[in-house]
Amino acid sequence: MTMKTTRDVRGVGLAIPRPDGPEKVTGRVQYVADLQPRGLLHAKLLRSPHAHARIVRIDTSRARALAGVRAVLAAADIPELKRKAPTRAHAVLAIDRVVFAGQPVAAVAADELAIAEEALDLIEVVYEVLPAAVDPLQSMQPGAPPVADAGTEADIREALAHSAVAVAKTEAGPAKAVNISQQSRLHRGDAAQGFAQSDLVLEKTYRVPMVHQGYLEPHAVLAEWDRTGFLTLWASTQGSFNTRSEVADVLGLSENQIRVIPVECGGGFGGKIRALCEPITALLARATGRPVRYVMTRREELEAGMPAPQVIIRLRTGVKRDGTLMALEAETVLEAGAFSGTVLTVSAVFLASLYTWPAFDVRGVEVLTHKPSVAAYRAPVAPQTIFAIDSHMQQIARALGLDPVEFRRRHLIVEGDPMANGQPWQSNGAREVLDRIAEHPLWKSRAEWKASGADGRGVRGTGLALGGWLGGLQPTGATVRLNPDGTLSVLTGQVDIAGTNIALAQIAASAYGVDIEKVRITTGDTDTAPVTGLSAGSKTVYTVGAAVLQAAQDARGQTLEIAAAELEASIHDLEIVDGRVIVRGMPDRGITLAQIGKKGNLYMSKTPPVLGVSRPAFSQQAPAFAAQLARIEVDPETGEVTIHDFVIVQDVGRAINPLGVEGQMQGGAVQSLGMALTEALLYDGDGRLMNPSLLDYRKLTAADLPDLETIIVEKPSPSGPFGARGVGEPPIIPAPAAIANAIEDATGARITEAPLTPERIAMALLAASDGIVRP
Amino acid sequence: MRRFEVVQPGSVEECLRALVAHGPEASLLAGGTDLLPQLKNGLLKPRCVVDLSRVARLRALDRDGGRGLRLGAAVTAREIEVDPGIRTRYRALAESGALIGSVQVRNLATVGGNLCNAAPSADMAPPLLALDAEAVIAGPRGERRVPLSAFFVGVRCTVLAPDELLVEIVIQAPGPRSGGNYLRHTPRRELDIAVVGVASQLTLSNGVCARARIALAAVAPTPLRVTAAEQALEGRPPTGELIEHAAGLAAEAARPISDQRGSADFRRHLVRVLTRRTLNTALVRARA
Amino acid sequence: MPKHPLSCTVNDEAVQTLVQPWETLLEALRERLGLTGPKEGCGTGDCGACTIHLDGKPVASCLMLAVQAGGRAIRTIEGLGRPDALHPLQAAFVRHGAPQCGFCIPGVLMAAAALLAENPRPTHEEIRYGIAGNLCRCTGYTTMITAISEAAAAAAR
Repeated sequence: MTMKTTRDVRGVGLAIPRPDGPEKVTGRVQYVADLQPRGLLHAKLLRSPHAHARIVRIDTSRARALAGVRAVLAAADIPELKRKAPTRAHAVLAIDRVVFAGQPVAAVAADELAIAEEALDLIEVVYEVLPAAVDPLQSMQPGAPPVADAGTEADIREALAHSAVAVAKTEAGPAKAVNISQQSRLHRGDAAQGFAQSDLVLEKTYRVPMVHQGYLEPHAVLAEWDRTGFLTLWASTQGSFNTRSEVADVLGLSENQIRVIPVECGGGFGGKIRALCEPITALLARATGRPVRYVMTRREELEAGMPAPQVIIRLRTGVKRDGTLMALEAETVLEAGAFSGTVLTVSAVFLASLYTWPAFDVRGVEVLTHKPSVAAYRAPVAPQTIFAIDSHMQQIARALGLDPVEFRRRHLIVEGDPMANGQPWQSNGAREVLDRIAEHPLWKSRAEWKASGADGRGVRGTGLALGGWLGGLQPTGATVRLNPDGTLSVLTGQVDIAGTNIALAQIAASAYGVDIEKVRITTGDTDTAPVTGLSAGSKTVYTVGAAVLQAAQDARGQTLEIAAAELEASIHDLEIVDGRVIVRGMPDRGITLAQIGKKGNLYMSKTPPVLGVSRPAFSQQAPAFAAQLARIEVDPETGEVTIHDFVIVQDVGRAINPLGVEGQMQGGAVQSLGMALTEALLYDGDGRLMNPSLLDYRKLTAADLPDLETIIVEKPSPSGPFGARGVGEPPIIPAPAAIANAIEDATGARITEAPLTPERIAMALLAASDGIVRP
Repeated sequence: MRRFEVVQPGSVEECLRALVAHGPEASLLAGGTDLLPQLKNGLLKPRCVVDLSRVARLRALDRDGGRGLRLGAAVTAREIEVDPGIRTRYRALAESGALIGSVQVRNLATVGGNLCNAAPSADMAPPLLALDAEAVIAGPRGERRVPLSAFFVGVRCTVLAPDELLVEIVIQAPGPRSGGNYLRHTPRRELDIAVVGVASQLTLSNGVCARARIALAAVAPTPLRVTAAEQALEGRPPTGELIEHAAGLAAEAARPISDQRGSADFRRHLVRVLTRRTLNTALVRARA
Repeated sequence: MPKHPLSCTVNDEAVQTLVQPWETLLEALRERLGLTGPKEGCGTGDCGACTIHLDGKPVASCLMLAVQAGGRAIRTIEGLGRPDALHPLQAAFVRHGAPQCGFCIPGVLMAAAALLAENPRPTHEEIRYGIAGNLCRCTGYTTMITAISEAAAAAAR
């Protein structure tokens, strides 16, 4: 949807910093934990130490008696709780069974945090420990310890939240075993015959463990009820409307009894899309009649957040000696933790849809285990899926002696090709991105780089990978108002996490015809804003941007109508220049925007106020691709990897704000590198998390990284505002594959299990040097 | 954290009195970089925390007129990292201090805390062991000295009685033609904890290794001296083969466990690699 | 239990207050003095979001008890500059679009300010290590490094 403006305004395309920069760098922006209302109480939750246990008895009497404790709740105190919790949010406090270590069983509100902690020590819980299903491959077998309450259906809300794939097109059979909560199968052609005709069959199993989204600000919420039974929640959330709906459902309230005010969010990345702490905090606030604040500790976040699923993909491909693709067959296992909700079909689609396989058969299962249930994490399951398919393509090219970029390019899908679910690929920049990264001097000089490692301690290599995201869709709305001083006020409900507000302001500026300095964006809450979707799925600029665009165009049209009447001119002869509506070619005949704005606000005026409104829904996705290249050095004795250079090439359609776009590319790349090199949630055989601290859950530091190079490609989307595509998700996708490819280039070792830690690399090299080749 | 009292003694004597008064319900607080996380995780629930920040003697850093080094127990890792005298003559120790946590942690973490917390991975232990350091311990019956090689008893366990306080670490200056190096392996370059740490300290004389010390972190319940490797080196010219042999002895002496930070096999392998590397570097420095 | 008196200097102003013995310095700054700039990201010294200056040195305030701050000089992000009079580091961060969600930013700026105070001409690598104790999940650090470099170069001129 392109828009002609009357002249070049300062809007779309400007690389300008977010307006809240000064507040952020002076520490004046407030997050939930910074809010300190009078009478505030502090909440703490008692969590199960066992992954699977029956609750025999809970005695909260000693906790209640501690001075300074204002409320203690167990499930018995909350009649609203459903006997079978269909989602994680509904499992506010465990009723008679816990299904993951860290699951809340009781809650305390007290005058001070220290008192609340001591109160937890005084709550007695008697558990009968039950066998736990901890390994997804074992959990999916018949006879495994059951996770879900019988009859709980598969939860596809997460998949729909990301509008990732049309779920209806896949085939799903009945669950074979009690812990298989979703199944899918996509197939085309005769894969068996394809394999029979292949010269090279390659089969590997790829595994990426559960990882945490890693936002710096833990979950936090402040709850307060007023005397009429109206609940206000100040929440760190990626979607105030979604939170409101979930809390209403869980607590049996109507939605207009709740107001969710999204407070500045210190990172979400998919981990703050779903309600988590809000219901229990609201219940404590109701029980005490005071405002109650709950802030998760880092330990609680790691033990009992909503991480990304473990993904295990067994991938088998058949090709001819000349590189012709013949067949692909795969089994994907997604470990969902204790409640269903992975985007299962996304993985299946990406495995078979990125390159043109004439025959494929991809089966997927979602498996429940006694671990905290998962939620989305920035392009959910795409990094893990690309880790498999791109590693595989690289190995095939290497085995056949083909150029790895040329091999990918040759088989890469184009617009119109059918995806694995039958839907056609929309216009996309996959080819452009691949070509652009192949032109990079770091790629062109990879042979020299490798040779330069011959002396000295390190071996050197280069690797690249390509991935993409389809982009989410969600209906939304926006309003654009002309103020009596000629400025614009834009209202959306969109939580500004990725700096999208400045981009929306730029869109409004360009679409209406004023400079960005005249535009102010307000993020409303659930009482004041038009319905808004999640700040997730790379869809904020794509959908809300479109809504703002339409509302700004609507406002522009209304403005010109009023001006046309005032100037007695035709609307087609008018343009907006420097804050005035003038008749083209006759600059003396004009009226300022301020005058129009005032007219709509005057007592007894017959002129209506200018209020542009939009409420679009969307059906077309705009896929966005990213490629990443890593130039590395590996210490072959210790396995330590040094990243010398790292490049991100991404098709953004149209960079509304290049500064913001680059920030997303760099941040997503480092999350991707973390998944590639150091991050994993590690569980013991009893389902307990072994690394519940940031010492042992390793996120990359500034010392681990080089300067990241970003290259923006623009292949405009026919459906995005000014051609824009979603930006947030593609950059998290390629690094695990790129790093695995670089390590193979440097050392000869192919590692198919992430994270590619120094131990994995060193031990693989030791095994190879023994002459014993282990998979 | 749960609630507790704090006492803030102004001298070693006051501190000892506080320990006697509060007995096993007291925890000592220096830098807090180990204690506070333990309090927050509920691993320790003391009734009283004895804050050492006002005991000036513990912060003293004294180069003893070039004869050696006296480190107050509350000297920080950051001070050890940047002190020019320590960087010159006790390089392995400075290197170990530099690796702890991050600068925000090093400005708080103390050498005494690192030793008394007695994690197997304590970074400053191997260089101090390799320098034949002594611990000066104050108690109700006066002060006693314990060689650091006898200080560690088990995981998180030292010879300190509940009514005793580590006040100082004393090191004699290594002779001329000495060099040392500390290396550790970690998955990240900062904010991390040793998977394996190795300190080597060599003194040369007439072309042979007159004195060799090798100490390991994170591969046994306590920091570990490898006397077999030391004896293999002493009295001999430090050739490449001899160093490799010593590295092999160090790997054999290591008793690592497999845990989430590393498997036993990987740790043993790293001991060999890092011993060889630290010996080579110590040699270069001794010859310089 | 009795509350402890605490006298210290915070952002160049003398402060007299009462704290609980078990309160961390981070908690006291945030809850008692209303200085919510320093954040709790982990509580165990592993993320740097709580970084303040203690007598000019960068420390993790979540690892100190408030009572340990007696007689010391403390600076938080609120004492580094004001929205109408930004410190050059702050201005550079804004110009380069370094803050995204903003949660790590106060800690990063305090670490960077301490680095430049001690080492006015840091190398690129020294800058990286200077903020290596500060985890950021949004930015990937590159814009911060650029901003710090620029601020250092400007100060050197």
